[in-house]
Amino acid sequence: MRKRLRRAAWTVRAALRRRDGRAAFLLGVLGYPLLYLGTIGHLAVGGRGWSVLVVDDPVARAFRQTRPFSFEPVARVVAEPLVVLLSPLDVAVALVLAALVGANLAVAVAVWRSPAACGVESSAGLLAGVPALLTGATCCGPAVLFALGVGATGTLLTVFGYATPLTALLLLGGLLLVARSADTNAVRTDG
Amino acid sequence: MKSRHTRRGALALGVGVVGALAGCLGGTSGSAGSSESTGSSPASSPTASDADGPPAADHAPYVAYEASRLRNATVSGGVTKDGIPSIDEPSFLDASVAALDDGEIVFGVVRGDDVRAYPQRILVHHEIVNDRLDGVSVSVTYCPLTGTVLGFERGETTFGVSGTLVNSNLVMYDRATDSRWPQVLATAVEGPLEGRALREFEVVWTTWGRWRRRYPDTAVLSEDTGYARNYGIDPYGSYAPTVRGYYNRESTMFDPLATDDRLGTKTVVVGVRTDAGATAVSMDRLRTRGVVDATIGDDRLAFVHDPVLDAGHAYRVPADATVESATDAVRVDGERYAPDALPFERRHAIEAMWFAWAGFYPETTLHA
Repeated sequence: MRKRLRRAAWTVRAALRRRDGRAAFLLGVLGYPLLYLGTIGHLAVGGRGWSVLVVDDPVARAFRQTRPFSFEPVARVVAEPLVVLLSPLDVAVALVLAALVGANLAVAVAVWRSPAACGVESSAGLLAGVPALLTGATCCGPAVLFALGVGATGTLLTVFGYATPLTALLLLGGLLLVARSADTNAVRTDG
Repeated sequence: MKSRHTRRGALALGVGVVGALAGCLGGTSGSAGSSESTGSSPASSPTASDADGPPAADHAPYVAYEASRLRNATVSGGVTKDGIPSIDEPSFLDASVAALDDGEIVFGVVRGDDVRAYPQRILVHHEIVNDRLDGVSVSVTYCPLTGTVLGFERGETTFGVSGTLVNSNLVMYDRATDSRWPQVLATAVEGPLEGRALREFEVVWTTWGRWRRRYPDTAVLSEDTGYARNYGIDPYGSYAPTVRGYYNRESTMFDPLATDDRLGTKTVVVGVRTDAGATAVSMDRLRTRGVVDATIGDDRLAFVHDPVLDAGHAYRVPADATVESATDAVRVDGERYAPDALPFERRHAIEAMWFAWAGFYPETTLHA
């Protein structure tokens, strides 16, 4: 396992040495938190004017859980037209996921754009990129759950309590899988 | 190689779906609210000083199910206990400085000299306001998933959001005993106070413009709640009929206790439940007819539409009385009265989504 982790880290580093890999990584790291915070309602359009509100005892409030892996906002910033709720631990969760999304994207792009050689075909890289893309791009808010219909969402809500760590594990798993078969020639650094 | 691709593809899809839903859930569960967990908030711990919990009602309303059946039907809504925080130190604004549009939904209360409006867009993020009205400690409560707003006396304790739901309805808990109170039932179904019913008072579902016209000096709940929330966003969508969202869909998020297809799931009804049973009238019918006759057991009831507030009231009416709709008034035995001032004993009229009312009161009569 340690060897596989090292190999995954090497694959990511190799991808980040390429220009297209870095671009993909930045896209994930910068874009995903915006999507994540938007879908949990902490980043929204519709604010009027400019204002900052900080709650009493923000440090204690920051650790108060609202649902699994989500915590109380300690401040609200309105900067027309945006409204931002600042929950430090939610931002931390978003950044961890964003790093994994960025790494997946970087490796995917690097492998996809390299010639198919010695281990991984270009389609493998594309497939590995799908989770990262879907993680950010297909998220469309509560409508997804409501669309699932009667009963299903009640059960899903329980499962979804663990969706955040599960997502992190699966993104990590995606990296490990790609790294397992990636070849030094497949992730060249001359992108 | 081929099989490797297949596994990778499946993993990719799995990660994508779960990842997508992780974010979506965040938005949704914040609104739906619930999970039977131990909150870390100090407010969630029962304290001896609140001793006996909220005061008991003189007459308990009819409950169609055994408490054990209701407990078994209680589900997590996705948030922790107090994850949806009640407002425990509300502050109020004068009507003249409230930044509300006339069409915004507010929940109005008149109790003694206190006249207050609680904007729906604030309560959708808190569900419970622990307040004092006319010198009495009360809680004004709103459940977004069932569209119900009810008021209760709370005594020395306060109510909080348990994080669980039954029949999609908010399950409150009192911080004195941690007993569990489904909002619509107003009766504890779990805990030391199981079987106790709450003292209720009527809360009117109306709009800011209508409420202010009738009560120009009303106070309004302030957005200064002590919490950082975006009160401009309703996580469930919008009550505007043209906007898609929970309120305008046939599907419910959780299975109801019972189903009844006489009306659409989210159709608004005005219901009354007494110790003898329950009855309801669709809001559309009440608007059209002005007055609708109904019965619960041996009691004759009159539902009356209040056109100024676009709300329903209910009265226990003597069997031989004549109650008719008239322009801008209600005629009782030939005399004209304001819809909210008939010379009869009031019954709590509760607006609710039909699926919720029919789920809790499966033998309800319906006038639609």
